[in-house]
Amino acid sequence: MLRVDCLGKRYADRWIFRQLNFSLNGGDALVVVGPNGSGKSTLLRIIAGLIDPTEGAIEQPQGDPRTTTGFSALDMQVYSHLTVSEHLEITARLRGIAYDDNLLTRVGLQERKNQAAIELSSGMRARLKLALAIQSQPTLLLLDEPGAGLDETGRALLDQICEQQRQRGCLVVATNDPSERRLGTLELDLAS
Amino acid sequence: MNSTWRVEIGAVFRKEWLNELRTRSGLISSLLFSVVAVVAIALAAFGRTPDPTVAAGLLWVTLVFSSVLALPRSFIVEEETGTADLLRLVARPHAVFWGKALFNLLQMLVTAALLSTLFLLLTSLPVTQSELLIASLFGGCAALAFAVTLCGALVAQAANRAALAGAIGVPLLLPLVLIAIGATRVSFGAGTMEGGLTSAIGLYGYALLMGSATPFLFAAVWKT
Amino acid sequence: MMRWIFAIAVAFATLAAFLVPPAQSFREPELARIIFFHLPCAISTPVFFFFGSYLSFQYLRNRAIEWDVRAAAANKLGYILAVLTMLTGILFSKTQWGAWWQWDPRQTSFLLLLLLYAAYFALRASFTDANKRAANSAAYSCVGALAAFFLIFVFPRLPYVQQISFHPTNTIVNGGFDRTYSTVLSTLFILILVLCAWVYKLAVRASLLELKLQSYGELEIRGGDTAPTGVVRPIPLSQEGGTSAGRG
Repeated sequence: MLRVDCLGKRYADRWIFRQLNFSLNGGDALVVVGPNGSGKSTLLRIIAGLIDPTEGAIEQPQGDPRTTTGFSALDMQVYSHLTVSEHLEITARLRGIAYDDNLLTRVGLQERKNQAAIELSSGMRARLKLALAIQSQPTLLLLDEPGAGLDETGRALLDQICEQQRQRGCLVVATNDPSERRLGTLELDLAS
Repeated sequence: MNSTWRVEIGAVFRKEWLNELRTRSGLISSLLFSVVAVVAIALAAFGRTPDPTVAAGLLWVTLVFSSVLALPRSFIVEEETGTADLLRLVARPHAVFWGKALFNLLQMLVTAALLSTLFLLLTSLPVTQSELLIASLFGGCAALAFAVTLCGALVAQAANRAALAGAIGVPLLLPLVLIAIGATRVSFGAGTMEGGLTSAIGLYGYALLMGSATPFLFAAVWKT
Repeated sequence: MMRWIFAIAVAFATLAAFLVPPAQSFREPELARIIFFHLPCAISTPVFFFFGSYLSFQYLRNRAIEWDVRAAAANKLGYILAVLTMLTGILFSKTQWGAWWQWDPRQTSFLLLLLLYAAYFALRASFTDANKRAANSAAYSCVGALAAFFLIFVFPRLPYVQQISFHPTNTIVNGGFDRTYSTVLSTLFILILVLCAWVYKLAVRASLLELKLQSYGELEIRGGDTAPTGVVRPIPLSQEGGTSAGRG
């Protein structure tokens, strides 16, 4: 489902990482760990297609990446002045999929569907980002620091989402939190 | 255009619309600038009615500067607020461009309507060919919207982006101003109708050229 | 050897420009000799700008940075030629038309062209990332070519614009210059074009070498072409989702 060959990324005169090789099949959940600056977020952004690698190649799941790949990151923002339901309606239309109201219930945002994102707490915004990431039931789900800002209920929800993702496809999680290793079946340590 | 494209472009347009409705930041600054600029021009003319060609030039220069002030924000704000990545992940580049360009066109048309009405009011300029004026404003706004939307995307990830948008947008639009003056001056009573129509056709040609090229150029840089 | 032949040819052609009988169609025939340099620069300017746009388009297609290097070199040369056209044109305007600046449509076109490509360089200067710089400036170069085409070929030929133009049209085609004059003009045009092509090649070679040096320099700093992180592969976690087995 995901294949990474000799992947490397350089910024200015510094290599962030190099010669990364791995492949993930259905059911795999890769946890990417490493100190700050080791390239965890960069790796996920490259896999998501947001930035280009300096060298190497990536083979993503077949199909339209808008629907086959879901991505959520700590530094990715949502639209402050759009409501929760507007976010999901608009992204559903952009992805060419049907809008599913049940998604809000799954992530515990049903009661906040008409609240603007700016009125949500950071934990609720994190749930909204999770909802946007899993909206199209992607084959590949990429989560960068997914637990940040989540309370205990939110973390249980995260576990549930990751478990469902493993049944549907594969998962890559980048994290600084040692407890989030529980989400994975494989570990990749980018520390050099 | 098939229904999928219409839906996607409509979704981007709706996002822009809702955002603008709730913040009003872009339209307000654009309209305020327009009003201030027109008042400044009328003041500078000392209450005299300017020559039709000069008036046409002043009108279009004001419109161009109004456009580079407001329109590039649609992409700059996405990068500054960190929402650009979400859009890159869920939307196709052409849908993003057309949705934003059409919204910018709507903004420009509103600005042009207010600006030109105020301009005519304050300068007491007679309009001898109102259809030509409306047609040239529409064609010019279309060209402005396409070109400045692209410029906004080009500078969104650059340093000093707000100033740079104007710096790169205005030179691209000055040829448009040349043609637009040719059409608008005729609507104010100067020149011949034939010359005015030729210029109006030229305006729409420029708009068509921009509308054809800019979406593809945008798609080439959007995910870089 | 070729360089010497070229240098001698340029010297002879320049001398000829000052010695040929002046064209009587000008108000001040002797002072109009600047046309020998003005016209070739004016014709070469769009050649390099459009070539630069073509190279920019190739970059957007292939994303190989060498295309961006070539495009920047072509646009730079086009800009230098545009500045020379403007300077020689201003001198011509003063001697023949009585004022440094007449708002002649072709003068106006070249002024707008200078602004357009100044914006191109401003855009390039505002990016630190080479790929972003290349992609965004390539897009601007492509859309700028549309504006440039209009400014150079369409605007000066519009009927109501031609009426107010000081520039004569089709002078050479209609036999406005005699044979000798035309020969010297054509020779200088070819020589200037060859000179510009040579300068372009040198500029591209220098820029590509600089690019190579940069990447070798980084390898030197890092102690050679080694992989900072080595070959990294995922390690299976235990069933309890606990400790890592270390790097393999």
